Amino acid sequence: LSMTEIRAGFTAIKANIQSRDPIRTLSILSHPHSLHKVKSADRCCITHQLFTFYVDKVFKHCRTEDSFVNRKISSIANSFLSARRKLGQCREQNNCMCGEESTEKFKQILANYEGLNVTSAAMKSLGELDILLDWMEKAR
Amino acid sequence: SGELYCSLPNPRNVHFESINMKNVLHWSAPEGTGDGVFYKVKYAVYGVGKWIRKPECRNINRTWCDLSSETSDYEEQYYASVKAFLNGTCSDWMETTRFNPLTDTKIDPPMVSVSSTDRSISIILTAPEKWKSSPEEESISLLQVYPGLQYNVSVLNKKTKKRWFFSISNNTLIVPWLEPGTAYCVSAQIHVTTPILDSGFSKEHCITTLKDK
Repeated sequence: LSMTEIRAGFTAIKANIQSRDPIRTLSILSHPHSLHKVKSADRCCITHQLFTFYVDKVFKHCRTEDSFVNRKISSIANSFLSARRKLGQCREQNNCMCGEESTEKFKQILANYEGLNVTSAAMKSLGELDILLDWMEKAR
Repeated sequence: SGELYCSLPNPRNVHFESINMKNVLHWSAPEGTGDGVFYKVKYAVYGVGKWIRKPECRNINRTWCDLSSETSDYEEQYYASVKAFLNGTCSDWMETTRFNPLTDTKIDPPMVSVSSTDRSISIILTAPEKWKSSPEEESISLLQVYPGLQYNVSVLNKKTKKRWFFSISNNTLIVPWLEPGTAYCVSAQIHVTTPILDSGFSKEHCITTLKDK
C-alpha cells in the first residue's frame, strides 16, 4: 500500500475537495469518536472496514466537473481497492478480528455518513482522507 | 447576534502560517481601508458544532493572531475566522480553509553539530521541537510527531568541491575515508516521507580534519 502515492494524490486535490464541503460542524471520521482512540487490537479490522467503506460508498459518488480531480480520485480509489484486497487476505487468515469496539465505532461512522445526502456525505468523506491517512501513518 | 449591518469590505487572505506547529492566523486588511480598522477572531474544531472566540484577539488592530494553544492537538483539524470593524460598521466573517496542523505546518531545518578526527567527521542531528506554550511544558521532538522523519545530509570537500549526499533515519552519521587537514562543510535537511514534508537545508557547518599524525 503506497501511502505516499495516496497522500500525494489527495494533497493535490485536498483544497478543491474540502471547498465542496461547507459543513464544518460535522465529521464522518473524527467525531464524536476519534480514530486515534482505537485500540491496537482493533486497528486492522477498522482499517479494512474503512477501506470497504471508501470503495463501496465514497469514491463512486465523488465525480466532479474537473477531469484532473476525477483522475486523482480514481487513482486513489485503485490504491484503496488493492489495499482492501490485501487486507481481505489478512481477514481470511483470521489476523484481522473485529472486536466490539471497532464494530461500534464503524457503526457511528456509517451513522454520520447516512446523516447527510449521498453526495455531501461522499464528498465530506473524501475530504477527510487525511484524517484516515494521519491515523494510519501514526499507527504504523 | 445583534450585529450591525455589515457593509465593510471583508478581510482578505485569511490563512494559517505554521512553523513547527506554532500556528498563527494571518490576514490582510479589507481593501481600501487605512488605519482604524479593528478585528475579532474566532476558531472552531472541525466536526464540532461551535465557534469559540479568542479573547486575546478581540478588538485588535494588528492583522495576525496566535492560535497555537487552541490548535495544539494535531489529531484535530480547525477553521478560524476574522471580522473587521470600522467607524460603526463591520465586515462579514471570513474563514480559513480547513487547517490540519500535522500536514500544513512547515518544519525548521535540524540542528547540526560536527566533530572530526584526522580521517573522519561525526555529525549529530537534532530535529526541532514542536511549539509549546511555555518553557516548563514538556518538550516534544518532531521526531515523535512524524515517525517517518529522515535526514538528508550534504557534505562538501571545500578543497575539491566534491559533495556527497546521505539519507539517514537515525540522527548520527560518521563520514570515513576523508583527507587529513581538509575543510569539510555539512548541511542537513529534514525529510518526512508521509505526510510529505521537507525542511530547508540548515546553514553550513564547516570543520577541518586533523592533520596526519
